[in-house]
Amino acid sequence: MSKKALKVVVSIVVIAALIVSVFGLIQGNLTASASTKKTVKIKFLSNLPDRTSNQGKLEQMLIDSYMKANPNVKIEVEALQDEPYKQKFKVYVATNQMPDIFMVWGQPSFFLPVMKAGYAAEIKLDQIKGYGFKTSSLKDFMYNGKLYGLPRNTDFMVLYYNKGLFNKYKVKVPTTFNELLNAAKVFRKNGIAPIAINGKDKWILAILYQELVVKEGGDQKLIYDAISKKSVAKNQILLKAAKDLVNLVNVGGFQDAFVAADYGAANNLFAQEKAAMYYMGSWEVGMATNPNFSESFKKNVDVTYFPTITGGKGKKTDILAWHGGGYAVSASSKVKNEAMKLLLYMMHPTRWAKIGWQQGLVVPGQSWDKFMTGKETVLQKKLTQIFSSATSVSGTVWQDAFTPNFKTEAETLCQMLVAKAITPEKFLAKIEELAKLEVK
Amino acid sequence: MHKVLSDKRTILLLVLPGLLIYTFAILFPIILSVYLGMTDWSGIGRPNFIGLENFKKIIFTDTTFWKSLRNAILLALAYVFVQHPIALAFAILIDKVGGRAEKIFRTIFFIPCVIPVVVTSRMWVSLYDPQYGLINKILDFLRLGFLKQQWLGDMKTALISVIIICMWQGFGWALLIYYAGLKGIPEELYEAARIDGATGVKLYTKITVPLLKPVIKVNFTIAIIYALKQMETVYLTTNGGPGDASQFLANYLYIRAFNSYQYGYANAISVLFVIACLAVNILFQKIFKPENYEF
Repeated sequence: MSKKALKVVVSIVVIAALIVSVFGLIQGNLTASASTKKTVKIKFLSNLPDRTSNQGKLEQMLIDSYMKANPNVKIEVEALQDEPYKQKFKVYVATNQMPDIFMVWGQPSFFLPVMKAGYAAEIKLDQIKGYGFKTSSLKDFMYNGKLYGLPRNTDFMVLYYNKGLFNKYKVKVPTTFNELLNAAKVFRKNGIAPIAINGKDKWILAILYQELVVKEGGDQKLIYDAISKKSVAKNQILLKAAKDLVNLVNVGGFQDAFVAADYGAANNLFAQEKAAMYYMGSWEVGMATNPNFSESFKKNVDVTYFPTITGGKGKKTDILAWHGGGYAVSASSKVKNEAMKLLLYMMHPTRWAKIGWQQGLVVPGQSWDKFMTGKETVLQKKLTQIFSSATSVSGTVWQDAFTPNFKTEAETLCQMLVAKAITPEKFLAKIEELAKLEVK
Repeated sequence: MHKVLSDKRTILLLVLPGLLIYTFAILFPIILSVYLGMTDWSGIGRPNFIGLENFKKIIFTDTTFWKSLRNAILLALAYVFVQHPIALAFAILIDKVGGRAEKIFRTIFFIPCVIPVVVTSRMWVSLYDPQYGLINKILDFLRLGFLKQQWLGDMKTALISVIIICMWQGFGWALLIYYAGLKGIPEELYEAARIDGATGVKLYTKITVPLLKPVIKVNFTIAIIYALKQMETVYLTTNGGPGDASQFLANYLYIRAFNSYQYGYANAISVLFVIACLAVNILFQKIFKPENYEF
């Protein structure tokens, strides 16, 4: 072969190789971009940082199973404690960078401004046909007749107690407020904290106050009406309930320095069997199966109604119940349809309600009676009985029924009442002042 | 080169990046904060302009704001009149000890400063716990049981308990700055004073303290700024409670912005907060007029 011919052949080979590799590269890129196009990223903001027990475990299980069923979907979870959650949520709102799916509290003090400003995507009622949600449970997730969120739980307040400690000190499980005061005195004498409560968080104190109002007056609407009409200060039932609360503090009904105790501290005190009772919501149903708690505690934990008050009009079956926590999808999400699909997948009755109930992790927001297996824990059985026997329920608790500032101020006033910084009379006068400022 | 650097357009070009950063990172947020302080913005939706309403409300009716400011000033006074004299005394003692012990003590006193505030706050919450806390246990051991308190949960003791935590956390910094100042005073001055017959306390009152005046000024300024912007310890221990007994300005501002959804109001607080800080700073500059020492 001549030199010239060799040059031509080599040139052709080099050009052909270049063309092939360029085409290969383009094709590779096309395939890659086609596959990345399919990958969907969903940002999930949760208030359940413990992913190994209770609701957090259930949430993670469902997220994992969704990703397994949809390999092209990647769900990024950001989970924070309640208070940091609220703050981070506000930052997302202020910067208009809402996560695709986020947890919401179905309370006017939290969700109403979000719905009003159009941050949540509408959920058509057809989409949740057969999901087992009662209309009443969706009420606080609706605005102007449209639905913007789905509740995940049925929340109601109860009195958890430790059977072992009650037996040891021969104390009767209280059914009346006087019995509760007497039980508190016995436990105090024996160095046991009577009721564990998280007074630093304030909201629990406001809920307990409402519990006493209901048990005194027997009227679920009383506290809301008094605030709406701005006639709080002279209401004798509200005053009596405030005095009852102070009375409970005076007999040492709560652990020492309960005003400085947060949720974890109060929960630990009860779980370590250093407190005989624990005033908390049904969402603590998982205590009976929590692997972090001792066997002795799990064997002893039980639950009952909050006691009635002798002379009061309220029945033990008048309970504080609402559908608090739930989920919403961002209206401005770039993957709105996928996020909605995920929400509907999670909240399908065979998932959140069935799995959550059967694993003893939650008391669902949807009807759960059809998922009963007979293998439920004592807490599950008793909580079901307490809820199904309710003769009246409160709905959203009083401090959450108005503006966010009403909530903050009212809760602080409740803390001041139990810390004896203000008298019951002054407390009511201040609530009235607050109502005049905040309630239109 | 000189010709280029004296050209006004070149100067402007060189200054421009810094000017832009200053405008957008400092000036603009301050102006925005003043504007938002004049709105009723909740952080969601659109803000409504309401003029000076928020400022009037804060100054004339918001008792918690004034209580928070008072608590911050009390903390500043505690730093200046309690923490600092002790820190200075310890700095002098450590300086005197010398050798390996000096290094060991210096490290021990600085330990609280290198531990995150979250950890030290949790530790103090445990120490203060009335049931299993070490403080009440020690009081019991010393047969001083009548002094036992519900430290963080009582209206009467919550503020002082938080102030004690803050002083403990910042002690190492105060000590370290005094210690560094002490190391800068030449030994010859003391020797000369000793030859002139000065002894004991006189050496410190006539030489150490006057020569440390610039260091004291810096240390006091840092302490006052730290007191005014106190937030983490309060948030992690009492969150301002019970009620507003141990509330501090920064924490109060935070509660208004994030719990009460009153972004506008919180911005108005922040503006007044800045004014209060500036006022304290100016007052401080007046008290500590600059003096020059040569040695």
